[in-house]
Amino acid sequence: MRARRLTAVALAFVAALAVFAATRGDGPAAAGPPTGLALDARPADSTAEEVRRLQAAVRRGEPREAELAAAYAQRARETGDPSFYARAEAVLGPNPAGAPALTEAAALAAARHDFRGALGLARRARAAAPDANAAFPVLVDALVELGRYDAAERTLQRMIGRHPDLGGYARISYLRELHGDLGGAAAAMARAVAAAGSARSFAADTNALLGELELRRGRETAAGRAFRLALAAVPGHPAASAAMARLAAATGRQDVAIARWRRLVARMPLPEYAIALGEAELAAGRSGAAERAFALVRAQEAILRDAGVDVDAELAVFEASHGSARRAVTLGRRAWASAPSVRSADALGWALTRAGRPETGLRWAHRALRLGWRDPLALHHAGFAALAAGERAEGERLLRAALRDGLAINPLLAAEAREALR
Amino acid sequence: MRRALLIAVVAALLAPAAAAAHPLGDYSVNHLAEIGVSSDRVDVRYTLDRAEIASVPLRGQSDAEVLAGVEDEVADRLVLEADDRRVLLAVTGARLTRPPGRAGLPTTRAELTLRARVTDPSRVVLRDGTYRGRIGWKAIVAQPGEGTAVVADVPATDPTGGLRRYPADRLSSPADVRAATLRVEPGDGTLEARGSDAAPVASGDGRGGDPLTDAFSDAAAGKGALLLLLALAFGWGALHALSPGHGKAMVAAYLVGTRGTPRHAIALGGIVTVTHTAGVFALGAVALALSATVLPEDLLPWLELTSGLLVLGVGAAVLRRHLRHRSAHRHGHHHHHGHDHDHGHDHDPGHSHVPPERITSRGLLAMGAAAGLIPCPSALVVLLAAVAQGEIALGLAMIVAFSAGLAATLTGLGLAVVLAGRAIGRLPVPRGVVAALPALSAVAIVGVGCMLTLRAVPHVA
Repeated sequence: MRARRLTAVALAFVAALAVFAATRGDGPAAAGPPTGLALDARPADSTAEEVRRLQAAVRRGEPREAELAAAYAQRARETGDPSFYARAEAVLGPNPAGAPALTEAAALAAARHDFRGALGLARRARAAAPDANAAFPVLVDALVELGRYDAAERTLQRMIGRHPDLGGYARISYLRELHGDLGGAAAAMARAVAAAGSARSFAADTNALLGELELRRGRETAAGRAFRLALAAVPGHPAASAAMARLAAATGRQDVAIARWRRLVARMPLPEYAIALGEAELAAGRSGAAERAFALVRAQEAILRDAGVDVDAELAVFEASHGSARRAVTLGRRAWASAPSVRSADALGWALTRAGRPETGLRWAHRALRLGWRDPLALHHAGFAALAAGERAEGERLLRAALRDGLAINPLLAAEAREALR
Repeated sequence: MRRALLIAVVAALLAPAAAAAHPLGDYSVNHLAEIGVSSDRVDVRYTLDRAEIASVPLRGQSDAEVLAGVEDEVADRLVLEADDRRVLLAVTGARLTRPPGRAGLPTTRAELTLRARVTDPSRVVLRDGTYRGRIGWKAIVAQPGEGTAVVADVPATDPTGGLRRYPADRLSSPADVRAATLRVEPGDGTLEARGSDAAPVASGDGRGGDPLTDAFSDAAAGKGALLLLLALAFGWGALHALSPGHGKAMVAAYLVGTRGTPRHAIALGGIVTVTHTAGVFALGAVALALSATVLPEDLLPWLELTSGLLVLGVGAAVLRRHLRHRSAHRHGHHHHHGHDHDHGHDHDPGHSHVPPERITSRGLLAMGAAAGLIPCPSALVVLLAAVAQGEIALGLAMIVAFSAGLAATLTGLGLAVVLAGRAIGRLPVPRGVVAALPALSAVAIVGVGCMLTLRAVPHVA
């Protein structure tokens, strides 16, 4: 489900890849080896080769640790194997120095959702090399996730002014989307796709993001085309696989959607995907199967809690919808404290609403929507907060907006919204 | 709080490489096939290690069901060819354990031994298509056979120690070996393997690679001295009792509060050993029985609550009894007040002006039970680790030794308190203080009980 969330996570990864591109050379979109056609028939994954090449180089003593770390991070995103993040961190060492290493460390911190740490590292990277562009992408991401949208926009303007590239377009797309401009967001992402060019894994990322935007705009055919391009570039690309499941749900093929979610969760049980599967099973009336999917989320929550990093807005929303509302409020506050973004505001608002405080919940929902964000889930949360707070007219308006802006990707929530509007 | 302690203990047992969990979680499904070609057979040992999250879908399945699933996957997707003909790998042994991983979540470890009949093959190929698409460590390792000289295109060494610790080398990627070709000639059990990358083995992702678990296997294999292991467990228990939260304060306060004798201190130690052992056994049994639905760590708060309430009850009883005695005492000896220092020197414990509260066997039992019942996560970890290694009997023996060590410390402490109490009795200490000590102790017991209970409540709620 979490289309919004997907985009945000993917963007963090785009940060890493833009850094990757930037550290490799200064030509426009100097990303990935020039392998000719973007979607040629070569099935080998270029990132794995890149990793091997750089491992050998570093073993020989060449100072290319930052590049290797970037390649590891890219590999982690492609495969979902977090041990590559650990390797990237090990390659950089505990005290990265120099702009490339600092930039890479910042991107890793952002991937770990430590946005304050990412901001600090990115600033240090920029101070170390004021003329380099590499630190800008992660700087923008950190500012966005910390809710400092004006600063993010100013930084992004400077970044684009110096060097328009894939990473820049992807971020323009995201900021436009946060402001409710879905058409503009899709247009910017289309330029990112073009800039990704021949690099498979960038092509997959950008196409998956573009497809998500098209799906939100109700253009299912265009969305499907983008997802298939992404999957052709990187077979089994997790984000694109998830997007295919959402596409099936949005077009009313719930059994196909569930089959896709099941396959994806069996191979990569990310909380986001497990929650989506569980909610799809609930919508189909299979509460036992839903509970099994949710058990995966709870187990991961337990692990994150032990590590002291259960600060994700996503978990707060999950607890609010399917667990303890009280715990959801705690998690929501923690999410807001660690990353005061519109997503965290949405999560905290929903948690408060579910905990029986819809008036406060609605105030946080307004905060989440203050930029004009048209995320169907945030609109759904805000709508139910308004209804529970007695604001019938506003609630109905918000729920209708949620349905218009793509709530159909989640049949459970769409059914709830339609029921409330009846 | 208790949960944090459990984690701290587990973390202390485990290798340092088990850093903070990554948001992407533990999804890996790791497997290793070790193949040895002899002149008349091919032996394959297939080991599967599913990490915490990958083990969640197996909750509620019995060991037999999980093993059946592994056997099906292996039967379908682990393909052995001898001289280009597929040969059947028959399962000759299967074992399943669920070693505890991070956050008290179980992991899954299956070990299958497989055998195929062949006659003097010249080329053997093993293709491992199991768990395709799942991330993790995927390796094939060659081993020498009997009556053959083998040249393998895969390494002969397994840097993971049977999927117990994973190399964290920053300059190599996780193994992804899915096929092995072995050229075979008659010989006398030699093996020439592709030089492995010899990645230095860092101590791993935490599970199973810890010295303690290794000690289990060693002791069970007769490699280590069993006695030494038990002595270690005893020593660990004794040291462990010194860490906070093992009822030292309670035991001491109880003995002071009730004017206990050395005999009482020793009896208390014995009771603690028994109750602690029983508690860990029971918790371990419940944890294993319920591992499919309940996490052991979820049971700990309840035990802690029970223990806290028990202590509270004992403390209240001691206090009540003391107050009753004291009011009687006050009436009989009122004239002493104000002359305390004159009488200090003629005090001796046998001749106290403060009538000793009787220690009832029931009270002693309750106190010992309370001290022993407080779930000790380290002991549980020992037991579960032993079970995970399939060395249950050894685990039980170690728990007994551990508990005995724990009790030895408590008994020693109790003796010290009792003897110190007598010594104080001989000192010219104002009798008011001496008289108030038991009451203070009772209050301390109640306080400890309250603290334990209050600490447990938020976790239970």
